[in-house]
Amino acid sequence: MSEARTAGELRADDVSFAYVGAARASLRHVNLSVAPGEVILITGASGCGKSTLALALCGLIPSRVHGELRGRVMFGATPLSGMKPHEASQLVGMVFQNPNLQLINQTVQSEVAFGPENLALPQPEIAARVDWCLDVTGMAGMRTAAVVTLSGGQKQRTAIAATLAMRPRILVLDEPLSDLDPVGAQEVLATLQRLARNGGTGVVVIEHRVDEVAPWADRVVLMDDGGIVLDQPPRAAWAEPGPWRAAGVGIPDMVRLAHAVPGAFGSRLPLSVVEAADAVKDTWFEAALAAAAAERRNAAGVPAGQRPDPRPPVLSWDGVSVEFDGKRAVDDVTLAVDEGEWVALIGANGSGKSTLTGLTVGLGKPSAGVVRFRGRPVRPGKVFDHAAHVALLLQAADDMLFETTVRKELEFGFRFRARPEDPVLDVPEAVEFFGFAGREADSPWELSQGGRQRLALAALLVGAPGVLVLDEPTTGQDATHMRSFLRLLDRVRARTGITIVTVTHDIRGLASRAARVVLLGEGQVRADGPTSRVFAMSGDLIRWGVLAPPLARLQSELLGPAAGDVLLEVDELASAVLAHRRGTARVTSPGSGVLRP
Amino acid sequence: MMNSLFAQTVIAYLLIFAVPMVLPVLFIKMVGLSGLRALVTYEARDTPLHKLDPRLKVLYPIGMGILSILFTWKFMLMVFGLTILPWFWLRPSRAKIKVLMVMIIGPAIAGFWGQGLYYLPPPPIHFLYQFPWTMAWLGSPGITSYGMIFGLQQTARVLVTVSTSMLILVSTDVGDFTWAFERFRAPPHVGFALTAALRFLPEMITRVSLVFRAVELRGYDMSRPRWHQFNRWPEYAKRLSRCVILVTVPLLIGTLRGTATMAMVADARGFGATKRRGSLRTHKTTAVDIWGYAILAVLVVGALVLNHLGIGARYYG
Repeated sequence: MSEARTAGELRADDVSFAYVGAARASLRHVNLSVAPGEVILITGASGCGKSTLALALCGLIPSRVHGELRGRVMFGATPLSGMKPHEASQLVGMVFQNPNLQLINQTVQSEVAFGPENLALPQPEIAARVDWCLDVTGMAGMRTAAVVTLSGGQKQRTAIAATLAMRPRILVLDEPLSDLDPVGAQEVLATLQRLARNGGTGVVVIEHRVDEVAPWADRVVLMDDGGIVLDQPPRAAWAEPGPWRAAGVGIPDMVRLAHAVPGAFGSRLPLSVVEAADAVKDTWFEAALAAAAAERRNAAGVPAGQRPDPRPPVLSWDGVSVEFDGKRAVDDVTLAVDEGEWVALIGANGSGKSTLTGLTVGLGKPSAGVVRFRGRPVRPGKVFDHAAHVALLLQAADDMLFETTVRKELEFGFRFRARPEDPVLDVPEAVEFFGFAGREADSPWELSQGGRQRLALAALLVGAPGVLVLDEPTTGQDATHMRSFLRLLDRVRARTGITIVTVTHDIRGLASRAARVVLLGEGQVRADGPTSRVFAMSGDLIRWGVLAPPLARLQSELLGPAAGDVLLEVDELASAVLAHRRGTARVTSPGSGVLRP
Repeated sequence: MMNSLFAQTVIAYLLIFAVPMVLPVLFIKMVGLSGLRALVTYEARDTPLHKLDPRLKVLYPIGMGILSILFTWKFMLMVFGLTILPWFWLRPSRAKIKVLMVMIIGPAIAGFWGQGLYYLPPPPIHFLYQFPWTMAWLGSPGITSYGMIFGLQQTARVLVTVSTSMLILVSTDVGDFTWAFERFRAPPHVGFALTAALRFLPEMITRVSLVFRAVELRGYDMSRPRWHQFNRWPEYAKRLSRCVILVTVPLLIGTLRGTATMAMVADARGFGATKRRGSLRTHKTTAVDIWGYAILAVLVVGALVLNHLGIGARYYG
């Protein structure tokens, strides 16, 4: 390796690390290099050591996070491991997952200036750095804005700008997209690419959302059990799905599709929808896709706009509006959810999703309209009364745990409320069903994050509610945890027949699993229909800050409006295409859908 | 006679407990946690008050606080009136005005009432309502007019500080506070502590509100009895106090996690790396600043002179 290349290069040489008191090392013999201008995606299952590696790469291990460190982290010829945090941060900057916790100041510009001010730089230098950082992150127009008024994407970009103000050569970002809606995520990724391509900054992105980062990455690193399993350019990294399956980590949908339909995409593995569409344009694949779509259209039976269930809805919002400080967060929403349905509410941050679902348990007060549960109006503020019928699982499930043992947690709701006479799931069954057998006496805080989420869900379900409302339940989860959570929801539905309403940004996983999708934009319902139909409306979704799943976008890209009801599972799409190639079509049955202008 | 004593006792109980019971209800109904969040949240706007020299903004509550100590209550009320005037200049949002009104009127009523009940002037005492022996044994012989006036005076002193501090809080970016403290040669940690507190106080309030919601969602009965269901209020108080203990665990865990991240961020951004910090801010003194300094100086010096001359001065001893 040349001297010029190593000069600005970040290297981890045989790095191992164990936290104080930990029985196992979190990092094991990690070797990694990051060159200037390079974008590296690091992914792996939860707990595989990604975040620990990030802390080591930016020198916060061992200076601020203590434990036993072996090996060394070098920037060029300089060892980072012995540096003070402010010295290391001028070489390698770290952006943490939650922007709320890393924005210390009140306005955007004071946040960005904070680092250079601490370094006692002259005022013109501070001003120049602030201007550059705000410019490169696209935040120049919001320099005097208060941090609390920013969207998630803007907050994350402010955090990036503040880190860049220390003039690091390498930027390490720990799950920067996890709390962002798809549009916010694209804003952040575009910023990172600009930094790498134009500014020569090396960028390390630790992320579960591989579909979104894959097209931007120069290298992909897969971690498992504290070590690096694979470190290659993206196409080479995903050429063989075996290691990914073994590590329980998802791969981009376009890559999976290319593996499922061998030869259709040529010799080059597609990493994005655009690449995939270009590869199959005017080929047999496009023709087979069109034939499959036409067949599904012909098989469609239920007229659009008709509710298939004649029973009264379990939940309904009739002309509901909600105002905060004179602004309408929810604007004249009329919506009904039937017994046993699984509905996903999607939309950009601030589109009114959580406000709308909160009303079902009496959180918040409509300024107009009525919310009903099984025909009875929901009274604002009477959360205790309504929580017996509608169980709301908050995004931060940890905030819903209050007891000292798993069993007490499950019994918690019966302090003030009689046990259901005929529970679908009583406490002993819930212990078995949710996998807590033998752990009843453990503290909830001894469980993994996924375990705590399961416990909060179980504790809500033993109260025998009629509806389960889930607010962003899969945020920040890896593919394995997400799949197991979705399987759990399927089992819960099969066992209890409960109605599920989910609020989610997770378009590819959770929303695709729902039977029906409601798109909210600026507080209004913009589309409502079967998932396969709503996700075919790529243009409308983008307009309201949502990106359809990659598979849906591919079908829309290739077929346009003729895509009709899109297929959302890779296996399903591959089978349909292959069947039509052979002339033996299979038919799937789409439902109805209404697009609201 | 018994009837009369009974009636007097009931009236006395109502007089004593009405205000302590009404004030929390007033606070919860009109302000609540979300209102409190609005109160301590900086509103970025383009007003002359926002652009005022931060040093003057730091000196203003201190100066007005001094004035409030020096004067008798009539002069005191004039000082309080003066502190209200800049609010018209700021034109805060309606939500903030609502919260501010409660925050001003609430303590005013509490001070007025509390002193009216328990401040005993030298005899002869003029009672607005004298309590019967069945109530007087609690320590208050009744409500006195002098006590109420004294309460109003004490409250106004507190309100001067509240009004001036709140005005500065909502119109000043914390970075400007830090700058001003550093110009006054205060250690950077003072500014940082204030910065962190003001930045994260609204977040903390939101989190407390969220966890209280979560406990209800889990089936903990937090429903308030109606005001006339006297037998249910003690049980409600018990539930409320138990709930405070319950929510402590998730609040504590969440806060500790957040604090650890914030500390690492502060370290990584070089906080404490140098004894003297630089600053993005440069303040060019404007005519408004000069007027502001002049008015504050005139007020403080004038007050000292008046005090020396015994005009409006408080009587000690």
